[in-house]
Amino acid sequence: MNILDHIKKGFTYFDGGCGTILQAAGLQPGELPERWNLEHADVIQGMHYDYLLSGVNILKTNTFGANIMKFSGEGELHAIIRAAVDNARSAINAVEDHKPLKGRSDDFSRTSAEHYVALDVGPLGKLLKPLGDLDFEDAYDVFLKTVEAGTACGADLILIETMNDIYEAKAAILAAKESGLPVFLTTAYDESHKLLTGADPRSVVAVAEGLGVDALGVNCSLGPDEMMGIVDELCEYASVPVIVNPNAGLPRTEDGKTVYDVLPEGFAASMEKIAAKGARILGGCCGTTPAHIGAMIEKARKLKPLPLSEKQHTLISSYTHSVEFGTRPILIGERINPTGKKRLKEALRNDDMDYILQQGLLQQDQHADVLDVNVGLPEIDEPEMMVKAVMQLQAVCDLPLQIDTTDPVAMEKALRRYNGKPMINSVNGKEEVMKQVFPLAKKYGGLLVALTIDEEGIPATAEGRLKIARNIYEKAAEYGIKKKDIIVDPLAMSISAEPESAKITLDALKLIREEENGLTSLGVSNISFGLPKRELVNGIFFTMAMMNGLSAAIMNPGSMEMMKAYRSFCALKALDENCMEYIGFTDEYEAALAAAAPASGTEVKKPAASVSYDGIKDERLIPLVDTVVKGLKEKAGALTAELLAADIPAMDIIDGALIPALDIVGKGFEAKRVFLPQLLMSADSASAAFESIKDKIAADGEKQESKGRLILATVKGDIHDIGKNIVKVLLENYGFDVIDLGKDVPPELIVETAIREDIKLVGLSALMTTTVPAMEETIKLLHEKWPDCKTCVGGAVMTPEYAKMINADRYCKDAMETVRFAEEFFSA
Amino acid sequence: MDNTVHTYIADNTKLIIPGREVARYLGYSREAIAAGDDLIDATIEKVRGIMAGKAVYCRYPLDFFDEDGIVMPYGRIHSKQLRDNLNGCTMIYIFAATIGAAFDRELTRARVRSLADAALLQAAGAAAIEAVCDELNEKLAKEAAEEGFKLHRRFSPGYGDFLLENQKGLFEILNPSKFIGLSLMDTMIMSPEKSVSAVIGAEG
Repeated sequence: MNILDHIKKGFTYFDGGCGTILQAAGLQPGELPERWNLEHADVIQGMHYDYLLSGVNILKTNTFGANIMKFSGEGELHAIIRAAVDNARSAINAVEDHKPLKGRSDDFSRTSAEHYVALDVGPLGKLLKPLGDLDFEDAYDVFLKTVEAGTACGADLILIETMNDIYEAKAAILAAKESGLPVFLTTAYDESHKLLTGADPRSVVAVAEGLGVDALGVNCSLGPDEMMGIVDELCEYASVPVIVNPNAGLPRTEDGKTVYDVLPEGFAASMEKIAAKGARILGGCCGTTPAHIGAMIEKARKLKPLPLSEKQHTLISSYTHSVEFGTRPILIGERINPTGKKRLKEALRNDDMDYILQQGLLQQDQHADVLDVNVGLPEIDEPEMMVKAVMQLQAVCDLPLQIDTTDPVAMEKALRRYNGKPMINSVNGKEEVMKQVFPLAKKYGGLLVALTIDEEGIPATAEGRLKIARNIYEKAAEYGIKKKDIIVDPLAMSISAEPESAKITLDALKLIREEENGLTSLGVSNISFGLPKRELVNGIFFTMAMMNGLSAAIMNPGSMEMMKAYRSFCALKALDENCMEYIGFTDEYEAALAAAAPASGTEVKKPAASVSYDGIKDERLIPLVDTVVKGLKEKAGALTAELLAADIPAMDIIDGALIPALDIVGKGFEAKRVFLPQLLMSADSASAAFESIKDKIAADGEKQESKGRLILATVKGDIHDIGKNIVKVLLENYGFDVIDLGKDVPPELIVETAIREDIKLVGLSALMTTTVPAMEETIKLLHEKWPDCKTCVGGAVMTPEYAKMINADRYCKDAMETVRFAEEFFSA
Repeated sequence: MDNTVHTYIADNTKLIIPGREVARYLGYSREAIAAGDDLIDATIEKVRGIMAGKAVYCRYPLDFFDEDGIVMPYGRIHSKQLRDNLNGCTMIYIFAATIGAAFDRELTRARVRSLADAALLQAAGAAAIEAVCDELNEKLAKEAAEEGFKLHRRFSPGYGDFLLENQKGLFEILNPSKFIGLSLMDTMIMSPEKSVSAVIGAEG
């Protein structure tokens, strides 16, 4: 019987722990257990054999760490995996033929009828980027090598186990799926019932089922009793069979030996409860022995498993949490989409990722549930920018993303690299588009936005749109995509162009909900295109759409009219417990009204302690100076916008207010009257002021003046960049144009950039003594290839002496000193 | 001797993270450190809310060779300064501790939002991991004392001539990526960022 049939039929039993058994047989600390497949095949076979005698169906090969990162020779890796599969297979043969191992006479009465060999794939022991240094594709390649070897050696299925990062699990699943074999996944949760990188069980279900695993569950880290809550959640959300392989409790020491505190009887009793919750594939992990597994199987054989059922939850997820559709309307933030947004277009052209990240975080603060990501501009490389935006957004922001592109290459790249289960925007009723998008959605998983448009265009009736939706459901099913993973967008179009359009869309929402019980989404604000005061219409239309069953809206969470509609709707429909979120919103609403009132009337009663504003010539600028000195970020942005609106030129604001304000704080810092946090709060405020200036300049289509261009980089091998970032922001605040090459930058890249951009000053930062040589190398290469260029260096380990030793032109002890040096350098 | 790798979980709510340490990392003057700072106190509470202080540790018998040679559980190494630190010891604890990946993410967010927040978090995170190490140290010292051992000061790879490359050996023994999600990068730097690995000699 195929393993996939076996898990549907009834309980299936995994074997238990391996490490403790091998240690008892003499495995030394630090020794690689996988080598024992070759060196002590008898021990490995004996272990498998004992498990089979206790009744297990699936043997895990002794290949937990068998990968090319640990076994660098592919020959050795292959030999180990070959031996591991053979060891399991020969134990199975011995048991199935009732041939006891040498020197033993055994009772075969408790063995199961069906046996399988699972290629065991463990984590790589490295964190993926951006947390660690392992690239997603490199991880995939490492897993692929192991999977290919295991498949060639005849494994029946692949078990990816003990994963504590969902991103790494994704790389492993994608590689495992290449084999065509069944793929099982178990992850290790900590005592807070989360993976070590943050995902909860529901999110793991969303991602793993999206990627098409055949069974999923939990193993290691905890004993069975500590896993109960995890098992409940897995059984509630997973449609595939649930696997539970706990430890035998916690390890402790007795007479110098490691023992685990859950004994076979206790283990079996707990596993009986776990089986009653709906888990179907049962086994053990660290500390469990054939005795534990045997006792468990004996109990389980008397039980009937709960039936498998298709769960109807529609889930998407980030790397930490999931969002469920169909309970209350989901807000999808629309701000990362260049259509009609000049400042974002400029940011995309200039590769200004910080701006994009700020838009993401801002929408998170404004209570978006999901972020739409659209970076399509004719003049940029969309696939490259899409991957970059997705990678950087998921590094700072834990909301799930909606990958929004019509470029299939960009879509596939983004889906592959996305850390979670995304929304995919979009597919539609056109045959060609369905053919392109469905295979991607099937392979990577995702909630597909389906637009009701086909070769004939957008139907003018609600029925016509429903018909397209039905066609999309049907075609998707042919690819194995479930209806619950499709959300229909019946398209909102401007009422100024087509008077009936809102009515048609609202009817279509209702039809899709009532006839198909389908989920729906809309780009709400399209409805008002061409009208004045669009927010007013948008807010009411949003309310009407929610009344007609709208499940999600692509909208601006910064719009008070939209949020008013949303919060009130949820409160009125009993979707907001005790109206708490509504009440919280009223505070935000008040604050937004207050912020919209003019701020410039605020008189400066008293400058901050020991500060004088006597040097400020233009009185109108004093409130802004005071705001920057006091480090009030939001107010600084608003005040600057007002000054610009009053036709004060940007350069006057920079030279007359921002730089003098920073100087006041900078002098205080140099005199040790103010300290780093205050200095940086002022820098943050000046940055907010600059952001307003940039908005204005983008709107006017002008270019900003620069006081000089320079490169900043944290040198190769060094990943600490806060110091460099502080220097960057201060330099920018003082009007310099900074090319920030980031952290861990190879010398060649710095030199190439300096030559290409004709840069005459390079600032280098290093935090660790171990990376000073990289700094020296960079300076040497600069002197060789671009001799006119000067260097200044800084960082925690730098000293004037070190700087001299490595031939730097200048040592700067902190950010202020770097600013002074740049002023001196560029005015010379 | 028992070589089991044990996991230690710090209680965030009770952990003592001294504000003056944070102020010191931020370069405050002596008077300013003494005066205290609301921003720092607020940041410490924020860190307390997101950190997950965890450690793995185990212990091994200790042996020496030559003048500066030490028999570590992962192999023989040379380090004059560590040898001095371990003088008189017969047992060695090794540990690795972290405050977890959520802190790194918060720091990444802060880098985008506000430099002031980033600098404060950076300093508070450094104080937090030190506090986790101190608490673990205290616990180990107490347990060792019951067996008649006295612990020496902890010593990390990268201090003096105890080369950073020793990280490899420590990580092979402790396997912290499995237990506490702490991994070693090719540069021998640990990830998550606020992490410490060290050895502690036990004399007695």
